[in-house]
Amino acid sequence: MRIRRKDRGVSEEIPTATMADVAFLLIIYFMVTSTFAATRGLDFALPEEEENPPMIEKEESVLIAIEPSGQYVVDGQPMELGDILDYLEPKLARNPLKPVIIRPDPQSSYGYMVDVFDELRQGAERGIEVKNISIPTQREIEAFWN
Amino acid sequence: MELHASKRQDAVIPTASMADIALLLIIFFLITFQIEVDKTQVALPATGIRLEVPEKSAYISITEDGTIRVSTGEEISQIVPMADVVSFASTTVSRNPDRAFVLKADKDTPYRLVDQVVDALKQAQAKTIYLLSEQEVQTAGGAPAAGGA
Repeated sequence: MRIRRKDRGVSEEIPTATMADVAFLLIIYFMVTSTFAATRGLDFALPEEEENPPMIEKEESVLIAIEPSGQYVVDGQPMELGDILDYLEPKLARNPLKPVIIRPDPQSSYGYMVDVFDELRQGAERGIEVKNISIPTQREIEAFWN
Repeated sequence: MELHASKRQDAVIPTASMADIALLLIIFFLITFQIEVDKTQVALPATGIRLEVPEKSAYISITEDGTIRVSTGEEISQIVPMADVVSFASTTVSRNPDRAFVLKADKDTPYRLVDQVVDALKQAQAKTIYLLSEQEVQTAGGAPAAGGA
């Protein structure tokens, strides 16, 4: 009987060729399932509760009303968004702490309020810093002004 | 001069390092992966000023049709009626008075709904709200335009 010698041609390496395939499949899974989450926004500091909140007379402040159509009315005058800072500039030069009140109509869209708030906040880049912005809620308006 | 026949070599592309690169990419994805607590699809307003929202902020989302979802920032958001937003905000503030709230509202949401949510947060004595937004893109004419969907 002939005894055959063992074949010595078998490689002793661990096959790693499929490891890359598995790893790339995992990467594709992560890329497909991941979503780009928005994690940035405009900060809006709420006033702290005070025993005797300072009363702001409507006449002392600049009132930016937002109509349901999105039209901005600043101190009774219809105005484009881009013109509001120019209107405020001389008033803030006289009184840097002049209160600016944003009062959106309940039927207007939230986006219009954000647009004007962002515009006022960006004023600092043009040297027109609006330090005192308030957005009273409907309940506060009814409690203090009506 | 004696000529030797050249040895035949196997044509092999070395792929051993491919797995290392792929695993490094996976580790990168795993480290940077954050669980999104609120997956509500809304069209955010675009702003020029955008600050990074603090980690573990509480989320309140409002869709255009008025559906409100809340999350303390540690679990997936749940739908709640408007009347429950005050109690949610009060509980969250009582646990951590410095916790920021993120308002994720559709730009076409009626302001009336946003007003009620902001009022609830004021009643709960929250300190800071972040109005979630997307990057404003300046068009060629200089006028701002919303950036992407």
